[in-house]
Amino acid sequence: MHLTSFLERTLQRRSFLRVAGATAASSALVLAGCGSDDNPKPTNTTASLTFSSNDNGLLNFAYLLEQIEATFYQKVVDAFPSDFTAEDKAAFIDLRDHEVIHREFLRFALGGNAYDLSLPGAIIFNFSSFTLTTRAGVYAAARTLEDIGVAAYNGAVKRISDAGYLALLSKLSSVEARHAAFVREQAQPGSFAGADVIGTTDGLDIVKTPMEVAALLAPIVPLTLVTDGLTNLS
Amino acid sequence: MNLFQIIREIEKVDPEIMDRLTHRRSALTALGDISKKMALAAAPIAIGSAFNKAMGQQTLSNVNDVLNYALLLEYLEEDFYAQALSATTLSANLSTGSAALGAIQTIKAHETAHVALLKSALGSAANPRPASFNFGTAFATYASFLTFAQAFEDTGVRAYKGQATKIKDAGNPNNVLTTALQIHSVEARHASHIRYMRRAAAAGSISQFGWITNAESNGAPAAVYGAGNPAATFPAEGNVVQGGLTLTSVGGNTYTAAEVSEAFDEGLDNTTVVAIARSAATF
Repeated sequence: MHLTSFLERTLQRRSFLRVAGATAASSALVLAGCGSDDNPKPTNTTASLTFSSNDNGLLNFAYLLEQIEATFYQKVVDAFPSDFTAEDKAAFIDLRDHEVIHREFLRFALGGNAYDLSLPGAIIFNFSSFTLTTRAGVYAAARTLEDIGVAAYNGAVKRISDAGYLALLSKLSSVEARHAAFVREQAQPGSFAGADVIGTTDGLDIVKTPMEVAALLAPIVPLTLVTDGLTNLS
Repeated sequence: MNLFQIIREIEKVDPEIMDRLTHRRSALTALGDISKKMALAAAPIAIGSAFNKAMGQQTLSNVNDVLNYALLLEYLEEDFYAQALSATTLSANLSTGSAALGAIQTIKAHETAHVALLKSALGSAANPRPASFNFGTAFATYASFLTFAQAFEDTGVRAYKGQATKIKDAGNPNNVLTTALQIHSVEARHASHIRYMRRAAAAGSISQFGWITNAESNGAPAAVYGAGNPAATFPAEGNVVQGGLTLTSVGGNTYTAAEVSEAFDEGLDNTTVVAIARSAATF
């Protein structure tokens, strides 16, 4: 059982200046690590997370994505929909494990550059736009998140300058695509590589710039994601 | 022809032959699998591949070479599915209106699109399509067809991944890297779905999901999941060490090797990939 240590971890408040890969700025960030009776709703919509225009920024961006996915799957595993089959449960435990491992790996890779070291606690992601009490709702949510993941990695990898990190991110990206195909097929039979994600004339998968991905993540992340720097990387 | 008898004969004069062969990791295992499960006619080529592998690794010197290499794999995949769709032995399983037929038609259409895209990118530098691909007994049964399909798709994922840094090093002309990654993730979607299709009773009830657990081949040639050359750069799919970190224990938590290996796909060098392709098909 791999509970999201990220959520449970109580982080020390640290100087924002320590963070090279991303900076968070807000006087009222909505964060975990507080008591469970704290108000989880954003109280300051101007809170922002700025990703720096370099490999650390990209790795932090990937780290945020993996945090979202890991948190999502953990949430499902903690309370499976009543109509989940044994196969669904087994698959989601696998999916949760993979995303937690991705998250932990990226946290390790970032070391002192992880954006959340400067936060007093973990970001509380907002999954209220999804229905997590039914099998159909959960698979639809997973489809959305996995397709975002595939598009994000396809857009991010070329922007990485370090060859080692480039190779590592490509090792994660195909696993996200494997996930995407599975959850899409469960959400709607025959759609594992549907025309909404794969071009019918060029056979190419979706690709999105960090800025486009940030827009898609906006309903989930209670911070404004500033990704101009990442998007401008060539 | 008895492949293992030949190796035993060589062993008499060269006692270290087994060490040297198995040092190429799964090349020999692949031969074992192929000689039993795949077309025997392909075996002489496979032997050549096993020995060539000693000198193999990344041999593509420019982006056009990489694209032509990708084109060869796409020609192979396209032809493989085209033959499957017309194989009478598979018509009962790939029946009109079935989910299986729809899936294979979708995948075939993507491979055709990839061929067209790569040929267009290469222009006059595009290598011609090989005269024919002989997949031996691949289409004898639905289970065998999907086993081959899994091998080709998982190999395809590893092949594109193995060239990513090469394209970046070449300056990523015309944004080729992103295009290659967009094909890479399509191959991964295909691989995932083919693997899932093998769970069906008609396909052998293989207990697996769309991701690769350890280096389990489930009937495909072991080399598909083995290490490439050099193994430090292209480890086997069972690899649990990423960026110097052994991920079975990280952040105060422990994870099984199966979980960690599933979470990362590994690349392969072009020589190993082509050897795998030539072990499964004659072209």
